[in-house]
Amino acid sequence: MNAALSVAGVTPRAVLVPADRTELASIVRDLYAAEKAFAFVGGGTELDLGNAPRALDTVVRTTALDRAIEYSPEDQTITVEAGMRVAALDALLAQHDQLLPLDVPDRQNATVGGAIATNAFGARRHRYGSIKDLIVGIEIVRPDGVTARAGGKVVKNVAGFDLTKLMVGSLGTLAGIISATFRVFPKPAHTQALLVHAAPHSTLFAALMNDVSLEPMAVVHYPTLGGVVLTFAGLEASVAGQIAHAGDLAARHAVGCEALAGPALERCMAFESAVRSGGEWRWTSRTSAARARTAAAPAVALALEVGYPTLGVTMASADDTAPMDGLIASRGRSIVFRAMPPRARGRVDAWGEPPPSFALMRALKANFDPKGLCNPGRFVGGL
Amino acid sequence: MPTLAADPLHDRFAAIAGARNVISAPSDLRTYECDGLLGYRIRPRIVVLPATTEEVAACVRLAREHGLPIVPRGAGTGLSGGALPVEGGIVIGTARMNRILDVDVVNARMRVQPGVINLDISKHLAPLGYYYAPDPSSQSVCTIGGNVAENSGGAHCLKYGFTVNHAVGARIVLSDGSVVDIGAHDGEADAPGYDLMGVFVGSEGLLGIVTEVVVRILRRPQATRTIFGTFPSTDEAGAAVSAIISSGILPAAIEMCDQLAIEAIVAATGVDWPLDAGAALLMDVDGVSVEVEYTAEAAIALMQSAGALEIRAPRDDAERMLMWKGRKAAFAAMGRISPNYYVQDGVIPRKDIAAVLREIAQLGRAAGLRIANVFHAGDGNLHPLVLYDARIDGQEEAAERVGGEILRVCLRYGGSVTGEHGVGRDKACYLGEQFSDDDLATMKLVRSAFDPAGIFNPDKVFPTPHLCGDRPGVYVPHAIERSGEAGRG
Repeated sequence: MNAALSVAGVTPRAVLVPADRTELASIVRDLYAAEKAFAFVGGGTELDLGNAPRALDTVVRTTALDRAIEYSPEDQTITVEAGMRVAALDALLAQHDQLLPLDVPDRQNATVGGAIATNAFGARRHRYGSIKDLIVGIEIVRPDGVTARAGGKVVKNVAGFDLTKLMVGSLGTLAGIISATFRVFPKPAHTQALLVHAAPHSTLFAALMNDVSLEPMAVVHYPTLGGVVLTFAGLEASVAGQIAHAGDLAARHAVGCEALAGPALERCMAFESAVRSGGEWRWTSRTSAARARTAAAPAVALALEVGYPTLGVTMASADDTAPMDGLIASRGRSIVFRAMPPRARGRVDAWGEPPPSFALMRALKANFDPKGLCNPGRFVGGL
Repeated sequence: MPTLAADPLHDRFAAIAGARNVISAPSDLRTYECDGLLGYRIRPRIVVLPATTEEVAACVRLAREHGLPIVPRGAGTGLSGGALPVEGGIVIGTARMNRILDVDVVNARMRVQPGVINLDISKHLAPLGYYYAPDPSSQSVCTIGGNVAENSGGAHCLKYGFTVNHAVGARIVLSDGSVVDIGAHDGEADAPGYDLMGVFVGSEGLLGIVTEVVVRILRRPQATRTIFGTFPSTDEAGAAVSAIISSGILPAAIEMCDQLAIEAIVAATGVDWPLDAGAALLMDVDGVSVEVEYTAEAAIALMQSAGALEIRAPRDDAERMLMWKGRKAAFAAMGRISPNYYVQDGVIPRKDIAAVLREIAQLGRAAGLRIANVFHAGDGNLHPLVLYDARIDGQEEAAERVGGEILRVCLRYGGSVTGEHGVGRDKACYLGEQFSDDDLATMKLVRSAFDPAGIFNPDKVFPTPHLCGDRPGVYVPHAIERSGEAGRG
């Protein structure tokens, strides 16, 4: 399977799978000493993300580092190694009716470390926040092979600089992730979804969002389903009450709605999963202004998650980038292409314009990776 | 005053920020000799109180030109000596930058200057039905700029998270005097690239000076229910907290007071809490009404099965406010039962509260000192207050020693030496017990990326041989605390 592995279109000379953290650190130290460029890869589910690395000798896979280090269900914290599959983490937590409320695409294959490095998120971000809000500690291996920890295993902690935040979404360009500690949550007793046939930013939508008797866990616009899906989770009585109340609000605005259960809900999930992993072009847009621009793109599928980045995808297999040109030209730094067809690689920057703080980011990269060997060029602005 | 012109730099700073906003007379500098940790005092050379980002930047450039270290300062309410001046250095205070810049309800964001008082954000938002969640006990006087520097917490962080979860973007002045925006702005959900804001929050003034902050704002919950319960001892109260947390229900806040703390709070505020209870829990549950009712009843049931003596609800909003005022003024209330006290701030796993409190009591007994506990139990964030009398030879030193031993207990249970007060000057030496040299060296890579010359807040956070020969700071309450206007912890 390693033969097929390529990182944003670049195939490494070698793939190494260290058996444990000691071997991981020593491999990294040796690569660094030998001045060979390397990239950390977990489950390999987001290898299209980012620009092609400028150099890549070796891929270091973390998949053998898959142990649970400490799970304290009564304290609602868990520490696991970075190579643990997200689904395996789910299974561990499920034994105590707990969960890590993070929507990671392809949970069977994606690893915990990969989810951190790519800042994976989805609809439940509305209630639970993103990885940044769930991670409380981390252990990393720097490009020079030195290992370091930050944060800890308690849920509140301001001792030392919070390197955990810096690692989230950094795509392995500052360091590799060895293990992480998360705050986990009880599994809600009951979950139910309601499809309201309203457009985002309509009067009804605003009324739903401003109503203090509604606290949805997730709010997602599904253009193909013709409306917004509100998901409620919690006590059965509370969920039923909120669904009924939202239904009343919709009726007062003369807008139809339907409770989603069984097949309808599954259709939603399948759709969302297609948006997350399918398509030639896949993008996220960070702002509402950017969302408006994506509406003009030739998307066959688009899932708009209100209040945080929209996910969009096109399945159209155009011969060139022309249908996407408008979006590419107008995106500034607010639209990120998470996947693009090979023909577009090198012509279209995955990240868009670097942010105004880019000089600081470059300084950080230079401090962590002075030789520029760790996934060089793959991240924003060629970091 | 003739002394004003004595320092040749006075006029240079005055040209930037206006003569009235530059302080260099020794008598006027006294106010700025320390922050909320009054045991450490250093007189700075000059204090400047700029009004704009440009003025802050010009002050930084001027200080840099003269090789002067810079200590940023908000309201000076910090408890770890984070705003302690450097001898011969300058202090840049952001208290005058206190304007609310804009509110964006659609994206649930608000942009404020750093000198805006924490509580004023929520007051400003009240008519819109929104509020700002992090609520340190000093929220009526501390500023958002200081909150960003310290990653401030508060009672309701149990459900809502800390400053780092709510401050999403900032404009900062770097050590070379340049101005840069970090994090998310203009309604952005996330910032592209590295999460600079995530690491800047809680960096204790070592990376830059914040001159604008973008915060998330939250809708006020539909319902809030406050529950007060008493217990025979901290064993039962601790067991109740552990039972509530592990049951999976999530109150907005769970605060604990032990018998000594109850005694002090009753004396200071007049709340009618029973003086014979060994411990009390004060809890807020909020959210959608139905959920609140269930959560409150479930919490009460767990408290009862853990051995609660009495469960009460405030009769009305006024009593509810009084209960929370009692809690937030608890540190200063210690003055009622002890001439002096040493405030500690440590974190432990929530399942170990009862066991750790027993160990802390044992440390107190061994040292012949009383220890009161009033803290954020739901987060496992302890605030033991070691009571002593400075007039008695050796007690102050004994209190400090016990304070240090408490931190070591926290570390032994896998916790942290600070949950919200910060490392600052006070705990720099303990940071080396929590983290290895490699951990600290890695954190310093961030420091040197932002501030290569180390001119911002030198001698803070990171242990150095020079620092660690010093004695830790001793806590003395501020006048506004003694008057009950604002609290701590």
